[in-house]
Amino acid sequence: MKALRLFSLELGRLLQSRTTWLTALLTILSPAAGLAVCQPAAADTMLSAYLANPTLAGSAAGGILFGLLTVWEQDRACRSRVDTLIYTAVSPLDMALIRLAALAAAALLTMAAAALAWHPFIRKLSGSVFSETDYILSFVVFMGPALFLAILAASSAYHLAGRLDLSLVIFCAFAGLSLTVWKDNWQLCWLNPCVWALSDDFSNFRIFRSVAYMRLTWLTALSGVWILSWLCIRQWGRGLLASLACHSRQICRPIFAFFLLFCSCAAYIFQPMIDHSNPDLSASAFYELPVLEGVSCSGRTASVYPNTNAGTVSGTASYFFQNISGQTQIAAFGINPGYTVSSVKANGTDTPFTVSDYQEYNEAMLTATIPPDETAELVIEYSGFPKENRALASQQGSAEISSKYICLANADLAPRLMNVANTGLIPATIEITLPAHMTAIPFSTAQAEIVSRHDGGTATWRYQGTGAGGILYAGDYIRQDINAGGITVQLYYGRKHQAVMESAHAAESVRAVVDYCTEHYGPLSFSSGSTLKLIQSRVIGGGYAADGASLLDEADFTFANLNDSGKGAAPGEVMIHELVHQWWGLANMFPPTANTDPWSAEGLTVYTTYRIIKELYGTDYAIEHYVKQWQQEADCYYLNFYVRNPQYLEALPENKRLKISNRLAHVRQYCEMPLKILKAETLVGGETAMDEILHCLFTRELDWTFPYLTYQDFLDACQLTEEDLHDV
Amino acid sequence: MEINLQNVSMTYPNGNQALKGLNLDLRSPGLIGLLGPNGAGKSTFLKLLAGALIPTSGSIQADGYPLSQAGRRLKAHLGYLPQDFGLFDELTVVQFLDYMAALKDLKKPKTAVWEAIHAVNLTEKAKTRISSLSGGQRQRTGIAQALLGNPPFLILDEPTVGLDPGERIHFRSLFSQEAANRLVLLSTHIIEDVRSVCSRLIVIDHGSILFDGTPDLLIRSQSGRPHTSPGQNTALEDAYLSLLSEEAML
Repeated sequence: MKALRLFSLELGRLLQSRTTWLTALLTILSPAAGLAVCQPAAADTMLSAYLANPTLAGSAAGGILFGLLTVWEQDRACRSRVDTLIYTAVSPLDMALIRLAALAAAALLTMAAAALAWHPFIRKLSGSVFSETDYILSFVVFMGPALFLAILAASSAYHLAGRLDLSLVIFCAFAGLSLTVWKDNWQLCWLNPCVWALSDDFSNFRIFRSVAYMRLTWLTALSGVWILSWLCIRQWGRGLLASLACHSRQICRPIFAFFLLFCSCAAYIFQPMIDHSNPDLSASAFYELPVLEGVSCSGRTASVYPNTNAGTVSGTASYFFQNISGQTQIAAFGINPGYTVSSVKANGTDTPFTVSDYQEYNEAMLTATIPPDETAELVIEYSGFPKENRALASQQGSAEISSKYICLANADLAPRLMNVANTGLIPATIEITLPAHMTAIPFSTAQAEIVSRHDGGTATWRYQGTGAGGILYAGDYIRQDINAGGITVQLYYGRKHQAVMESAHAAESVRAVVDYCTEHYGPLSFSSGSTLKLIQSRVIGGGYAADGASLLDEADFTFANLNDSGKGAAPGEVMIHELVHQWWGLANMFPPTANTDPWSAEGLTVYTTYRIIKELYGTDYAIEHYVKQWQQEADCYYLNFYVRNPQYLEALPENKRLKISNRLAHVRQYCEMPLKILKAETLVGGETAMDEILHCLFTRELDWTFPYLTYQDFLDACQLTEEDLHDV
Repeated sequence: MEINLQNVSMTYPNGNQALKGLNLDLRSPGLIGLLGPNGAGKSTFLKLLAGALIPTSGSIQADGYPLSQAGRRLKAHLGYLPQDFGLFDELTVVQFLDYMAALKDLKKPKTAVWEAIHAVNLTEKAKTRISSLSGGQRQRTGIAQALLGNPPFLILDEPTVGLDPGERIHFRSLFSQEAANRLVLLSTHIIEDVRSVCSRLIVIDHGSILFDGTPDLLIRSQSGRPHTSPGQNTALEDAYLSLLSEEAML
């Protein structure tokens, strides 16, 4: 009762201080920095730009501000000598607890005020993809804990140092570590969490969990440090060590502090989010395993049960072997390092198995004994929370398992057989049980079908394919079948994105692009038979294509991107631009040079978009909205001060130089290069000749040692030189 | 209330020995004056009694219990006005006293707060922010917080510093009334403050007790001895100065 009264009075006193109000006001305003200058979430989704960035900026700025407030307030009682009165009535240790609680409450109120104040703005900026859940979680997980952790850290620094100046130095150094050295380490960046993207159309379960885990780890660690520093509070005229010794007589206090520190270390070491894959990306130990002699695999099945609440997977995978060697053999499987194998049975009896500590490309190696019998069925039961590759630790979110979206790739779905010949041809039957509203989409030509519906709102989907691995997407998808280019294109996009896709005339765009590009450049190499799946995925920072399926990153279809006039005059035209990338831009088509290189996927894509628009809306429209715009931008480019005086650009600080050079590169890729291609078109004899050249380039035989399409390849195909296209 | 000091010494971590082997008995009711020059050890002595410091040797007992064990109990029974104190400028007088009343865990805080405000004549300034108070009004607020809840043991370290003569007389009389049913320990430089109201006088210098008795006894014990500051002093001042000069010669 006394503690509650003291807390309310201390909070009341804190809220009467102008410093507190200034801190709170600046913290509430700090998300604005995320809209303008501080944009750690690099992805182009609306929620990354208008929700993640503001809350991350608020996290860093608010944390620092509340840390400073804490040191200031702690020192204030001493500075104003009011502590001589207070400590007569209550012990400094009790007062420190009350003060911590009051500061934490002030931080909580500030965070709530910030969330309320920014709600209408962020809602408006995000548009139709705004999600209340993501909004609340962003403030509660990204921003709020930073304020409290900063209070703990600053308070500990003051208890230990006992001086304003030294405490400020310690706190600023600790915050500085998070903002600099630790900024790309997802477990250490306590102030500014590693969040590179928030999905607009699907879920963000994984990234919120990851940040929450990091926050809890730090909360435990800093609570332990705080308790130790609390025991060091000077009392009875004694120094730091004498006070520590005296306050530690109640032995449970230091024990609890060390217990918390121990828990935080354990949480750090045994974190469940990221694996320990070999950081050497050229390592290929699992791909160089010797193939078993006399053993083949005639098929495999898997029954997979994602738990969308916990984000875990459990499953049973069966492998059917023919073993004509007459000996026991050791089969090797790649399995997600987060999974635990509970049993492996061979022909119904338990068989020995091990899981390696060594991990490579997000897989650990499970080895199990195949009996010497001629036929053997190996049944593996596994479950767990899938870990992500440590190479992508600062870009988490790929292994998403939630009630809105699931992506399970290869060893995340079921153990991947590694040391048997022709694993790519193994017939596979996969069953997965999902919430009823979800659609299962195998990333292949296979079509999943519902085989049973269950009580509790789940359904089991089944599909058949080939190979040892495979990727499965599931979510609340809308499917549109579009006949174009002689095939059926199955366009899958998230239900939440329906309004945006319809307003951008997605189906018409797909039809126009597939018809045009197939006719002019040839069919896509990865379309298989008569169908092609175009699957909108959760933001992953790019797309990829394989047998019969191609992935479209949701970031390409955001409201902001579809209204990017550099890519098209209307959302539907930007949609066409993004779809043209299926021809120009996937996989290894363009050399991985610097992103400032004018020759990139964008030049041919913008040119092709212009050609399609010309066909759809006429020459005048295309020239007005494309060629004239390119020319205008290119003219400005050549008049740009830094283009004419590159030595001044070199003299600028790195961040300013990069900003300017990236903007200039954008003009070269999106405007100058299309103009050059247009000039080449004139020089080679017109559109038909250029189409033939591009057709040849698109269908050329690849040299797999260097499969890229270079600018020189293009010039050679046109029988032109760089100088011929110099003045555009 | 009974406070007993046995062979109490206090040495600060920097090696400065502030008190040497003090032996004293303090019983309520009574108003005890504590006199001594600057640096004599008065404030250290009061801080030890207030539980803000722990002696390096010796023991202090409050009502028969060691002070180290009776810390929380003593805090509940103690009103302390340090020599050098501050206030929260952003609060009003009432808010500050309410805050202190909560710290002291008083049963009827509102009543206690207004009683203290009336006692120190701050009723008109009760709802004024402390930042706008004069030095004397701040001192009175400090005294008010010490009086909160009528504690059985009052320690007042230079309480009348900064007060005008009229206020000093008022507070002298107030402390005298307060001492009727409690123990009041009054440390001061102003001999006039203690002469008229203190039933007992303790003189400290260089960390040791030079005198412990009634003011009259001090005057009698020093009568006829030379002192260092001849002039228009009162008898008690003469006796006090004589005592200090005698100590200085030793």
